[in-house]
Amino acid sequence: MPILDVQDLTVRYSRTGPEILKGVSLQVDAGDFCAVIGPSGAGKSTLIRCINRLVEPISGRILLYGEDVTTMPTRRLRETRRHIGMIFQEFNLVNRMSVMDNVLSGRLGSVGTMRSLFKLFSREDIERALTLLDRVGLSDHVDKRADQLSGGQRQRVGIARALMQDPKLLLVDEPTSSLDPKIAREVMTLIRDVAREFNVPALVNIHDVQLATEFCNKIIGLQGGVKMFDGPTEKLDRKMLETIYAMEVL
Amino acid sequence: MQYMATHRPGGGQPVERRKWSRFRYPDTLISFGVQLGVLVFLGVSLVYMDVRLERLLEFGQRFVALIADRYYPPELSLLSEARYLQAILDTMQMAYLGTLFGLLLAAPLAWFASFNMTPNRRFLYPFGRLAIMGCRAVHEMIWTILLVSILGFGMLAGALALTLFCIGFAGKLMSEEIEAIDKGQVEAIRATGANELQVFAYAVLPQVRVAWTGIAIYTWDVAFRAATVVGFFGAGGMGWYLQRYVQQLESQRVAAVLISIVLLVTVSEVVSAWARARVAQAK
Repeated sequence: MPILDVQDLTVRYSRTGPEILKGVSLQVDAGDFCAVIGPSGAGKSTLIRCINRLVEPISGRILLYGEDVTTMPTRRLRETRRHIGMIFQEFNLVNRMSVMDNVLSGRLGSVGTMRSLFKLFSREDIERALTLLDRVGLSDHVDKRADQLSGGQRQRVGIARALMQDPKLLLVDEPTSSLDPKIAREVMTLIRDVAREFNVPALVNIHDVQLATEFCNKIIGLQGGVKMFDGPTEKLDRKMLETIYAMEVL
Repeated sequence: MQYMATHRPGGGQPVERRKWSRFRYPDTLISFGVQLGVLVFLGVSLVYMDVRLERLLEFGQRFVALIADRYYPPELSLLSEARYLQAILDTMQMAYLGTLFGLLLAAPLAWFASFNMTPNRRFLYPFGRLAIMGCRAVHEMIWTILLVSILGFGMLAGALALTLFCIGFAGKLMSEEIEAIDKGQVEAIRATGANELQVFAYAVLPQVRVAWTGIAIYTWDVAFRAATVVGFFGAGGMGWYLQRYVQQLESQRVAAVLISIVLLVTVSEVVSAWARARVAQAK
């Protein structure tokens, strides 16, 4: 059974607006590091945001470990989100909080409301946060405010926050678009490595074809809300890329 | 669009001179119409209300004469009387209590009333908006009159009136602050499985905290100014003395009270401006 099974997903932002996704289906299996590629506006971000329902689909099913996410009541949805780690293009760290608190906020789904309001995280959580910050190479920046870090460092905090959730699935939305090519490669390597270490499958939006083919074992190509390609990276040839991007890819 | 081939710079290729005008037909007409309307209304108002501008010429003369006749010298000894000092203290406490409770109530109401972050769009959003708008719609002096007639004379009515005033005043500013936050940070916290209250504490509050502190200081400042006068309608404090001396025609004491009010309000404004500047630096 696939870990994530998306069936015939359709999304519209307003009742009369255009369809952003037009019946997209895909599967993510254990151990997959799956890229979603496509030009800007193809619906990559929308697709990934549907999976934890930051965006509500119009129709279709999203099965996570066999359970349909699209019909979940609010409480169950929160429990599910707790198991889905998310990494963002603009990092989306809470700028005025410390690095430590940003990482600890990954536990919010698992900590009682009252405890979390007073920031009373358990010893194990704090221990885990420190270990993760060590792993992403930020042990010297634990008490800095998030907005004092550089772009690459911020994305590392984002990665630690996602891992703090002990996720069963990673959703990664353009993790490298706000970074320079060298740092982008480092961050991409880190995400792939931790996904292996923590044995968690990942769905990665990325418009950089080079990075996608280099790091991912499976590729899904979107264009204008329609799935154009779905298969292992080796099968993706130049002709297919030209179809997806509707232009000549060098 | 009309084209006229008339201009040839440097004798080269003929360049088409295109028609362009800053003034377009309906926009310009509407704009001038509105301006004309404002001026006409100003004129009509002045005539209708029988405003005699020439009276303003005598303003300075009359003002000095009035002060010299009735209010001078102010009875400054009043300001050192124990009961009046007590009244000043009462006024400050009234402002403090009103601001404190007002802000404590305004914070959750501002959260409910912010369109982007409200925990419930169908019930809590209209509830928050109505509560804040209701408090704003009624002037604090009217609140005082109303509450004094319900609760009787004294500080309780005054403090409550100021509380309502602060809810209306701070609530609106605070919810506007929430509506301007960065949505990405909210999305990230929500994606961890946090509930609405946790999203507020971890994604909203850090973003608005500094602005809210500034609003709180400003609210205190404005509430203190209001507190000096609510007493006029029976809510105790300095305002009460002001009303008493006005009615007893003790103009020199009125002058002393007014001087003390101006001094205290000035001091509180200076302190508030300084504190807000400090907070703004904190970012």
